[in-house]
Amino acid sequence: MFILSGIPVSPGIAIGYAYILAHALGEIEPYSIPKNKVTHEIKRFNNSVRNLHLELVHLKNELKKNKMIEYGSFIDIQLSILKDPKISEDPKKIIKDTLTNAEWALKIQMDEIINKFNKINNTYIKERKNDVYQVCENLIKYLIGHQSHKVSNDRNQIIVAHDISPSDALKFKNTNNLAFITDIGGTTSHTAILAKSINIPSVVGTQNAKQLINHDDLLIVDGGHGCILVNPPNNVIEEYKIKQNLYEIESKKLLSLQNIPSRTIDKTAINLFVNIEDTNNLSPVIENNTEGVGLFRTEFIFMDQHKMLDENEQFVIYKNLTKSLPNKTLIIRTLDSGGDKIIEHMPHTNQNPALGLRAIRFCLAEPDVFITQIKALLRAAYYGNIQILIPMLSSTNELRQVKLLIQRAKDILSSERKKYNPKTLIGGMIEVPAAAIDIDSFANELDFLSIGTNDLIQYTLAVDRTDDAVSHLYDSSHPALLKLIKGVIDSGTKAGIEVSLCGEMAGDPRLTKLLIGLGLRNFSMHPSSLLKVKKMILESNASKLKYKANKILRSHQKLEIDNLINNLND
Amino acid sequence: MIKKDLIIKNQLGLHARASNKLATLSSKFNSNVEIIYNDEKVDAKNMMDILLLSIGLHDTFTLKIEGSDEKKAFESIVKLVDNFFGEGK
Repeated sequence: MFILSGIPVSPGIAIGYAYILAHALGEIEPYSIPKNKVTHEIKRFNNSVRNLHLELVHLKNELKKNKMIEYGSFIDIQLSILKDPKISEDPKKIIKDTLTNAEWALKIQMDEIINKFNKINNTYIKERKNDVYQVCENLIKYLIGHQSHKVSNDRNQIIVAHDISPSDALKFKNTNNLAFITDIGGTTSHTAILAKSINIPSVVGTQNAKQLINHDDLLIVDGGHGCILVNPPNNVIEEYKIKQNLYEIESKKLLSLQNIPSRTIDKTAINLFVNIEDTNNLSPVIENNTEGVGLFRTEFIFMDQHKMLDENEQFVIYKNLTKSLPNKTLIIRTLDSGGDKIIEHMPHTNQNPALGLRAIRFCLAEPDVFITQIKALLRAAYYGNIQILIPMLSSTNELRQVKLLIQRAKDILSSERKKYNPKTLIGGMIEVPAAAIDIDSFANELDFLSIGTNDLIQYTLAVDRTDDAVSHLYDSSHPALLKLIKGVIDSGTKAGIEVSLCGEMAGDPRLTKLLIGLGLRNFSMHPSSLLKVKKMILESNASKLKYKANKILRSHQKLEIDNLINNLND
Repeated sequence: MIKKDLIIKNQLGLHARASNKLATLSSKFNSNVEIIYNDEKVDAKNMMDILLLSIGLHDTFTLKIEGSDEKKAFESIVKLVDNFFGEGK
C-alpha cells in the first residue's frame, strides 16, 4: 500500500477500482498523406470541429436542464476557443503545407499555442491553457474515431485523470463512478465544482496520481482529508468501510435534524442564524429553519461591484432580502471596509490596517457614505425585520456620533417624504477589547449586541493568525477571551437586550456547549456548520452547562481548559 | 478609421470570459477590429489572440476599427469596456 495526498474538494469516502482516463493526445503519431488526399484530410478535420461544436452546445443545454449552469461559462470559453481560427483554421494550413495528418497538424498547432500561454505571467490567463488542451484533446478523439471516454458501468470505479473536462465529468454523473482524482486543479477547478454539486468525494491537485496508480488498482479515496490509499490491505479496507458507513449515517442523521426545533434537553431555545456575504444563495436560511440572517457583511456587495452603491441601489438589495426571507430577522452590518477588505475608490491606511481607519471609523470619517447606507437600510426596514449592526465600536463617543448620523438620516428621509421604519433596532458589534471591557455603557445605549470573535481574539491576544510565525498563539479558548465573552453576555442579559455571537467560534461544534454554558442563546454562522452545531445543542443541558462553564472560567491553564471543554462534549 | 486608446477597468483584465465577450461582439460587425498592445497587433474577433495579450487592470490598449459600421462597432466596444464587461468588476 502507498498513500497519495492532494487537495480535498468534496468530502466522503469511496472504495473502488481505478479507472485511468487515457490522453487521446498520447496515442497519436505523425504520418504523411499524399497530395490528392489533402482535401479529404481537411474535411476530416472540419468534421471533428463540427462534432465537438455540437457536443459542447448539447452539453450546455444538458447543464441548463440539470441546473448546473455555473458550468455554462466554461463551455462558452471552450466554444470560443474552438471557433478561434488558431484552432479551427490554422491546422488546415499545416496539413496543406506539410502534407501531414490532421491529428499531427493539430498537435503542432496546440503545442505552439500552449507555448505562448506558458510565457504569460498572469496565472489566471495561463491556466486557460487547460481549456485549449481539453478542446484539442476532444478534437483528437473525434479524429481518431473513439468518441469521448467510454464509461464502463459494470463495477464501482474511481476516475483517475490528469484533468477531467466538463463534458467527461457530466458523462460520469449517472454511472457507477464513486470518486474523482485529478493531478491538476484546485478548490475552484471544474472537477471540484462538479464533484461538490453531485456529492462525489474528490481529491484534486495530486500532481502525479495518474502516473503512480495503475488501471484496476484498488483505491480508497477520503475526500474530506484529501488522501488516497492505493492497494490497501484488507484490514485497512474494513476500517474504511466502517468509516464510510459512519460518514453516511452521520450525514443522514445531520440532515434529519433540519426540522427539529433548536433547543436543549432542558427546553432552552437556542436561536440559530446564518452569516451571509451576498444575496445569491439564501436557501440554507430557510431549509435549516433558522431564525434568519445574523450577519450580512455588506462590504462584499461593494467589493463585488468595485464601487460605492448609491442609496437606491442599496435599498433594492436590502428590500429584496426582506422579500426573499419573509418573517426572518435580518441583521445587516454597515460597511466594514479596511483591514483585509479593501474597496476600490476608498482611501485606506497601509501600515497596520487592523488598527487603522476601518469599519465605523471610516464611516465616521466619510459620513456621506455612512448616511447613504443608513438611509437605504431604514427604508428597507419598512418592509421587513431589518436590524442595523455597527462594526468595531471602541468608545461610547463613537456610538453617540453614530446615533447623531442615524438621526440625521431619518430627518433627511422625512424631508424627502420617503417611507422608512423609525424604530429600526441598532446594535453594536463587540470586537474591540475596550468595548468588551466597558460593556455596560454600550449595553445601555444599544438595542442588541453581537460578539465578533475573529477580531476580538486578534485584538485581545495581539495575534495575526495569518502570520505563520505566531498563528499557534491564536486560541479561541484563552481564559481572557472567555471572560470577555461571559462579561458581554451577562451585561446584555442585565440590560434586557439580545446578545449573539457571529465569529467562527459560533460555528465550531467543539465550543457549542461551552458557549451555551456561558449563557449564549443566539449563534450566527456559516451555513455549513449549522447542523453540526445543532446536534450539539440538542445534546446540551443548559443549566448543567452553566455550572460547568463557571468552573472553566476559573481555570487559567490551557491544558486544563481544553480537558474541561472535552469533558463537556463527552 | 477610428483609433482610440482605452483603459481596462475590470479587476481581472482581459481574462477568458472578457476576451470571449469582446471577440463575440467584434465578430458582429463587418469592420476590421484590431487591438494594439505592447507593439503587438491582433484581430479582435479572435478570442485567443486577445487573451494571449494578457491585458490587465489599468492597462491601456489601442482600439483600431475600419469599415462601414465602424462608428457603431466603436461605440459598442467602448460600452462593453466601460461596463466592466458586464461582470460588475
